[in-house]
Amino acid sequence: MAAPDLLDPKSAAHNSKPRLSFSAKPVVLNTPDYDDECDTRTTVMRWKTVSAIFFLVVLYLIVGATVFRALEQPHESSQKLAILAEKLDFLAMHTCVNSSELEDLVKQVVSAVRAGVNPSGNSSNQSSLWDISSSFFFAGTVITTIGFGNISPHTEGGRIFCIIYALLGIPLFGFLLAGVGDQLGTIFGKGIAKVEKMIVKWKVSQTKIRVFSTLLFILFGCLIFVALPAVIFKHIEGWSTLESIYFVVITLTTIGFGDFVAGEKGGSAGGSESPEYLDYYKPVVWFWILVGLAYFAAVLSMIGDWFRVISKKTKEEVGEFRAHAAEWTANVSAEFKETRRRLSVDIYDKFQRAASIKRKLSSELGINTAINQEMTPGKRTLSANLYEDREAYPNLTLSLSPVTGALSRNGSLYLNGLSPDYADRREFAIIENLK
Amino acid sequence: MHSVGRSWLLLTGFILFYIIYLLFGALVFSSIERPVEDKLREDMIVLKQEFLNLSCVNAASLELFLVKVLKANKYGVSVLRNSSVPSNWDLASSMFFANTLVTTVGYGHTTPLSDTGKAFSIIYALIGVPFTMLVLTACVQRLMYPLVLAPVGLLQRSGIEPRPATVVHFVLLLVLVVLCFFVAPAAVFSTVEVSWSFLDGIYFCFISLCTIGLGDFVPGTHPGQKYRPLYQVTVMVYLFVGLMMMYLLLRTFHKMADLHGLTTFLQLPRCEESDLDEDREPIVENERQSQKEKAANKPLEPGSQPSYNTINKG
Repeated sequence: MAAPDLLDPKSAAHNSKPRLSFSAKPVVLNTPDYDDECDTRTTVMRWKTVSAIFFLVVLYLIVGATVFRALEQPHESSQKLAILAEKLDFLAMHTCVNSSELEDLVKQVVSAVRAGVNPSGNSSNQSSLWDISSSFFFAGTVITTIGFGNISPHTEGGRIFCIIYALLGIPLFGFLLAGVGDQLGTIFGKGIAKVEKMIVKWKVSQTKIRVFSTLLFILFGCLIFVALPAVIFKHIEGWSTLESIYFVVITLTTIGFGDFVAGEKGGSAGGSESPEYLDYYKPVVWFWILVGLAYFAAVLSMIGDWFRVISKKTKEEVGEFRAHAAEWTANVSAEFKETRRRLSVDIYDKFQRAASIKRKLSSELGINTAINQEMTPGKRTLSANLYEDREAYPNLTLSLSPVTGALSRNGSLYLNGLSPDYADRREFAIIENLK
Repeated sequence: MHSVGRSWLLLTGFILFYIIYLLFGALVFSSIERPVEDKLREDMIVLKQEFLNLSCVNAASLELFLVKVLKANKYGVSVLRNSSVPSNWDLASSMFFANTLVTTVGYGHTTPLSDTGKAFSIIYALIGVPFTMLVLTACVQRLMYPLVLAPVGLLQRSGIEPRPATVVHFVLLLVLVVLCFFVAPAAVFSTVEVSWSFLDGIYFCFISLCTIGLGDFVPGTHPGQKYRPLYQVTVMVYLFVGLMMMYLLLRTFHKMADLHGLTTFLQLPRCEESDLDEDREPIVENERQSQKEKAANKPLEPGSQPSYNTINKG
C-alpha cells in the first residue's frame, strides 16, 4: 500500500516521518469508525423515546381505524341487506329446490362470506366487522404485516387507503419494534447478569454460561409469550391446545393465515357459539402481539445467527488457508526481488570498481577523463548503505523488497546514469525510509 | 478473484438448498393434507345429496347447510358442481403454500386442516422463516454491488456530489422497482385473472410484497384457471424476487439515511447483524477507497494483507 507513495518521489520526499510499514488503512471493507460503533456501541433507545413512539403508533392506529370504519361500514351494511333479501326469497320458495337455484344461493353465500358477512345466524345480534375495535385490530394487522385476512377492505377507496396506510405504518411499526426489542433486551440482560453472577461462583466456563443464558432466554420467553397466551386462548376461545399454539406461532412470525383469529368469532368453533369477550380483551391481545413480535424477532435472528456462524466458520477455515497461501506467495516474491536487487547491485558495484580502476590507471597514465560525475556521493552512500543494511539486518531483507522493487525498476536508470537529481531525491527518500 | 467465486458458489448452494427445502415442504403438506381434503369433499357431496332429497326446506336445515358450506369454503373446498378446481394440495399448490408460509406472507386461502399439518407448519415455519431471511439477505448482498454501488460510483464520477448522488440513485431505483414489480405485474394479473381490475392487481402486489398477505386476492384460485401449476410457480418466483427488491430498497434507504445522518438523529440501533463480510460498506466512500486499493493491491488477496503487514514489521 505504501508502494504507490514510494513510486511517486514527490510524496516520498514530502513524508517526514519514517515509515517502514505500509499504510495503516485496513483493507477489509469496514471503515474503522463503523467497526468501532458496531462492536462497542450499546446505545439503546431511551424509554421516553419508546413510549413517545408507542403513543404515536396508537394514535396512528386510531386514525386508521376511524377511516376504515367510515369507508367500509356502509358497504358492509348494503351487503348485509342484499344477503338477507336473498335468504327471504329462498324461504318464500319453499318447495323443492333444484340444483341451479341451490348453486346460486351458495355462490351468494360464498361471496358474502368473502365480504366478511356470515349469513347464518340471526342478523340482530351480529356485530359489525368494522366497528371501532375491530377496525383497530385490522389496522394493527396491516402495519405489523401479519395480515390475517378475515377482515379486508372491499371498497376501492378502502384498498387505496390500505396501501398508503401500510406504506407509512410499516416503517413506523419497525421503529417501535426496534425500541421495544431494545427494552426487552435490557430487561432480560439485567436478569441474566444477576443469574450469571450467581453461577460464576461455581467456576463454570464462559461458553457454558453463554449457552445456559441462551437456553434460559428461549425457555423463559416461550413461557411468557407462547405457553401462557396459548393457555389463555384455549380457555377463552375454546380452541384445542394445538390450535392455540398454532395460532400463537403463526401470528408471532407475522405469517397470519387468519383461520384462527383471537377476538373474532372464528376457528373451528364455527359461528354457533360466540364467546363473550371482555372489553379489554382485544387491546391486551394487541399488546401481547407487539411484545411477542419483538421476542420472536430475537429468536428468529438467533436461529439465523446460528446458520451464519456455521457458514462463517467454514469460511474462516477457508480464509485461513488462503492467508497462509498468500503469505507463502509473498515470501517467495520477496525473495525473488531481493535476489534481483542483489544481482543488480553486484553488477553495479563491479561496474563501478572497474570504472574506478580504469580511472586510476588512466590518471596514472595521465589520460584526461571526463568521467568524474559517474558516481555521486549520494549514489555511493546508497549502494554502501544497502549493502551494509542487508548484512546488519537480515530480517529487514524482505521488508526492503518493495523498496528494492521500486529501486530495481529504476535500477536501470542508475546504470544508465540518467537524471542524477531524480536519483538523489529518491536516495534521500529511501535512506530516510531505511532509518 | 478467488473469494468472489467462492462466495458465488456458497450463494448458489444456499439457493439450491432453499428450493429443495420448499419442495420438501410441499411434498409433506401434500401427503398430509390431501386425504383430509378429499374426505371433506366427499362429505360435501353427500350433504348436497341429502339436501336435494328433501321435499321442502325449512330455515333450520338451511342454516345448518349454510354453516357447513361456509366452513368448507373457508378451507377452500367449494360445493359448486361445475367447479373444476383441482385439489388445493397438489404439488404446485402445496409449494405455493409452503412459500407463503416461509416468506411470512400467509394468505390463508388454504390452511392446514389436520392436526399433524398444523404441527408440521409450526416447525416448518420456525426453521424456514429465518432461513429465508438469510437467503434473501445473502442475495441482496450480491445485488448491492451491481445495483447500488456501481451506479452510485458512476454518478459520482460524472460529477455529482456524493450525497445528492445517493438520493438521485435511490429515487431512480424506487421508480424502477415500482414500474417493474407493481405496475407491470398488476397489468399482467388484471388480464390473466378474470375478476381483477388493474387496481386490484396493484393492491395484490403491494399486499403480497409487504408480506401482509390478507388473502382476499390470491392468483390462481379461480376455477378454470389454465396452466395452474405453471402460473403458481411463476407467481412464487415473482414473490421471491419482489421481496428481494423490497429488501434492497430498504437497505439502500438505510444506508442513505446513515449517510445523511438520519439514523444517528433518531438514535436507532444502527448495526444490523453482519451477514457476510461485505455488509457494512458505506455506499459512497468505499468507492474511492476500493478503487485506490484495487489499483495498489493487484497481486495480493485482500484477506492476506494483515499478514503481509506483519512481514513488513519483521
